[in-house]
Amino acid sequence: MISGAALDGVELAAGVVLAGAILALWRKDLRSLTSVLALQGIALAALAAILAATGGDVGLGVVAGVVLVTKGLVIPGLLARVVRADPGSRETAPLVNVPASLVAAAGLVILSYLVAGQLTALMPDPLTRLAPLGLATVLVGFFVLVTRRKAVSQIVGLLLVDNGVALLAFLLTAGVPLLVELGTSLDVLLVVVVLQVLATTMRARFGHVDLDQLRELHD
Amino acid sequence: MTAYLIGIGIAVVAALVGAVLPDRHRLPGAAALSAAACVAVLVGAVHVLVSGHTSGLHTAQVLPLTGVDLSLDPLGALFIATTAGVGLAASWYSVGYGAHATPSRTATAMLPAFLATLLLVPAAASVATFMVAWELMALTSLLALLTDHRRRPETRDAAQWYAAMTHIGAAAILLGLVLLADHAGGQTFATIASHRGRLSVPLSSTVFVLTLIGFASKAGAVPLHVWLPRAHPEAPSPVSALMSGAMVNLGVYGILRVGGVLLGGGQSWWWVVVAALGVVSAFFGAVHAAASTDTKRLLAYSTVDNMGLVLIGVGAAGALAAGGERMLAGLVLLAALFHLVNHALFKGLLFFGAGAVQHATGTRDLDRLGGLARRMPAVTALFGIGALSIGALPGLNGFASEWLLLEGLLHGFASRSAVTDATLLAGVAALAITGGLTATAFVKALGVGFLGQPRSERAGGAREVGPSMLAGMGLLAGGCVVLGVVPGVALPALDRAAAAGFAGGAPTTLRVGLGLDLASLHGAIEPALLVEGLLAGIIVAWGVIRLAPRRAELRRPRRAEAWGCGRELQTARMEITATSFAEPLQRVFADVLRPDRDLEVTHTVESAYVTQAVSYYQRVDDAVERVAYRPVIGAVSWWGRLARRVPNGSVHRYLAFGFAALVLILVVLA
Repeated sequence: MISGAALDGVELAAGVVLAGAILALWRKDLRSLTSVLALQGIALAALAAILAATGGDVGLGVVAGVVLVTKGLVIPGLLARVVRADPGSRETAPLVNVPASLVAAAGLVILSYLVAGQLTALMPDPLTRLAPLGLATVLVGFFVLVTRRKAVSQIVGLLLVDNGVALLAFLLTAGVPLLVELGTSLDVLLVVVVLQVLATTMRARFGHVDLDQLRELHD
Repeated sequence: MTAYLIGIGIAVVAALVGAVLPDRHRLPGAAALSAAACVAVLVGAVHVLVSGHTSGLHTAQVLPLTGVDLSLDPLGALFIATTAGVGLAASWYSVGYGAHATPSRTATAMLPAFLATLLLVPAAASVATFMVAWELMALTSLLALLTDHRRRPETRDAAQWYAAMTHIGAAAILLGLVLLADHAGGQTFATIASHRGRLSVPLSSTVFVLTLIGFASKAGAVPLHVWLPRAHPEAPSPVSALMSGAMVNLGVYGILRVGGVLLGGGQSWWWVVVAALGVVSAFFGAVHAAASTDTKRLLAYSTVDNMGLVLIGVGAAGALAAGGERMLAGLVLLAALFHLVNHALFKGLLFFGAGAVQHATGTRDLDRLGGLARRMPAVTALFGIGALSIGALPGLNGFASEWLLLEGLLHGFASRSAVTDATLLAGVAALAITGGLTATAFVKALGVGFLGQPRSERAGGAREVGPSMLAGMGLLAGGCVVLGVVPGVALPALDRAAAAGFAGGAPTTLRVGLGLDLASLHGAIEPALLVEGLLAGIIVAWGVIRLAPRRAELRRPRRAEAWGCGRELQTARMEITATSFAEPLQRVFADVLRPDRDLEVTHTVESAYVTQAVSYYQRVDDAVERVAYRPVIGAVSWWGRLARRVPNGSVHRYLAFGFAALVLILVVLA
C-alpha cells in the first residue's frame, strides 16, 4: 500500500498531467504545446518511477524509462521540429474560443469525477481515487481534437488522449506489463511520425496545415 | 428420408460442379446432376406422400448452437415433390437454353443451388433451420436472377426490388417466428406445436400477421406482389420457371405451416384476411395479365392471379376449419393444393415456352412476334397445352382443380357463419371473373404470339429449339395432360397433404377413382369421359365433312391467306396486335389499370385539316406500385439525401460525432 511522500508524489504527477491537458487548451502558441507534452511525459515517467520504487517492480521501472524517452523526449522533439518549420504559427481561430473551452473543460472534469466514482467504488484505494484525473485528461484531449484546427494541435490532442489512457492504466492496474507499454509507446511514436510527414506534405502542397480546409475528401 | 437427403447432397455437388468445371462440361454436368438430385428427392417425397408417415432428423453438426432439424411430413413432401418435378424439367431445359452461349459460372452454379434451397425449405423442422433455408433461398434466387445483369441493366433494377421485398418479408417472418419460439418455450416445430395452448390470442394473432406479411410477399399477394412482375421476366427462363412454379408456392406453404399447423388454425378472421388477399390478387393479376403485351410479364401477373386462387382456397379452408367444418375444409384445401401443383406444372411449361420463343427470336414483346406456329410447331403445341391448361379447359389439369375448388366453395355455403359465407361468395366470384380474364390473356398470348404472320424479321427467322428444351417442356406438358385426364391418381396423396395442413385435419371422404367423385356432396366429374366425348365428337365431325357429298362449286379451290377473311393481300400490319386485342379490356378496367396514354396529332403547316403524323403512346404501369410504393421510396431517398449532408468532409465534424457519443454514454453512465 502506497502512502506518505510517495503518495504525494503520485498525486502531484497525476495533477500535472491533467493541468498540462488544460494548459494545452489555453495556450494558442503551438510551440508551448510541445513543452506541455514534454511536461506531461516527464510527469507520467515520474509517476511510473515512484510506483516502481514503492512496489520494487523492475519491469515498471523499465516502463518508466521508456515513457521518459518516448513521451518526454522523442515525441515532443519530433513535434517541435514540425512547429519550427513554420515559425510563429498559432492556433488563431479555434472552433470553440479559449474561455468557452476552459468552461467546457471544467464540465468534462466534473463529468469524469461523476463517472469515475463508480470505478473507485469497486476498489477504494488512494490510487484509484485519482482515476478521474486520467479520464478527464482523455476527455480534454478529445476536446482538443474536435475543436482545434491546426494539424499540430490535432496531433497534440491525440497524444493527450494517449497520455490520459496511460495515466489511467498506471493508476488502475498498478502498472501495465512492459511488453504492452512498449507496444503502445512505439505505436504512438509511429502515429506521430506519420502525422508529421503528413503535416509537412500538407504544407508543401496546400501552403497551410489547417484541417478545416480539407473538405474535398467526402463521398 | 434417405433418398431425400441423397438428393439434397447431389444438388449441392451439382452447384459445385457448375462452379468449377471447365466451360465445355459445366452446364451438362450441373444439369445432369441436378436432374438426378430431383429424381432422388422426388422418390423420397412420393414415398412419404404414399405411405403417409413422417420421418425426421436432427444433427448438431451444420449450424452452431441450434443444429439442423429436418422432417418430411405429407404437407412438406407435396411441396418438395412439386418443386422436384419442375426442377427436373428445368434441369433438362437449361442444357438447351444455355447451349450456344455457355452461361457464366455463377449462372450454372446458382441454378442447382437455388433448387437445393427450394427443396430444403419445406423440410425444415425448426425456426433456425427454416430461417437459414429461407434466407439461402432468397440469396441464391437473387444471384440466379442477377446472372444476366451485364447485358441487361433492367435486371439490376428488378433485383433491387426483389431484394428489398424479400428482406422486408424475411424480417417480418423472423420476428414472428422468434416471438413464437420464445413464448412456446422451444424452437423446434414439434415443441411449438405441442405448446401452442400456452399462447394468448393477441400473441398468436401477432405472430400470424407478421408471418403472413412475409409469406404473402413471397407468394406474390397484392399489394406485396410488386417484385414479381419485375423479377420473373428478367430472370433466365429456367430460373423464372422455378421462381414462378416453385418459390411462390413456398409462401403458401409458410402460411399453412405456421397458421395451420404450428398455431393450430387459430382465429377465423386470420383466414378471412388470407382469402381477401387472394380475391384481390386473383382479380388484379388477371386484369394485368389480360392487358400485358410482354410474354413473361403476362405470365408473372398470371402467377399473381393463380396464387390468389390458391390463397382463396387456403383462406376458405381455414375459415371453415375454424368454424368446425373439418370435412369441407379438407376438401377446399385439397382443391387449393391441387391447383398449386397444377399451376407449378403449367406455369413452368409456359415460362419455358416464353423462354424458347425469346431464345429463338430475341424478344418477349407479343407485338413483335407472330407466325411462330409454322416455324416452331413443337413449341407452339406445347405452349398451347400450357395455355389451355391455365385457361381451365376440360381435359387438362387447370380444369380439374378449378372445378374442385368451385365445388368446395359452393358446398361451403352450408357453414353457419355469415362472414365465412361472404368470403366463399367472394371467392366464387373471383374464380369466375379470373377464369374469363385468364382465357382472354392466353388467347392473346397464343393467338397473337404464335399464329398469323410474323410481325418482325426476327420472328420470321425463328427456328425450332433443340431437343433438350422440348424435353423439359414435354415433361411438364405430360404432367398437365395426365393430371387433367385422370386427376384421381393424385388425389390420395393430395388428401394426405391437405389433412396435414391443419392441426387435427382428417382425410376427406373422396371416393378414389380416376375422376373426381365427392361422394358425400353428390358431385362427380370424369374428365377422361369428357376427353373421350370430345375426341369422338371431333372424329365424327371430321368424318361427316370428309364423307358428305359436296356441291360442285365448293370443290373448285380458291386460295387465300388463312385467317385473311378472303382478302387477296394480307400483311402483318393488318393483323390484330396484342395491344389492340387488350384495348377493350383496358377501357373496361381503366380504374384498376390506370393506363398512361397519349395521342399526339401533328398537322401540316398549311392546313389544320391535313394530318402530317399521328403518334400514340401507351404504357400500363402497376397502379399499386405507383400509389403505395413510389411515395415511400421517394420519402426514403429524400431522407437519404438529407443524411448525406451530415458527413460533409470536415474532419472536425466526424471527430465531434465520436466525442459527443462518448460524452453522452458517460453522462448516461454517471
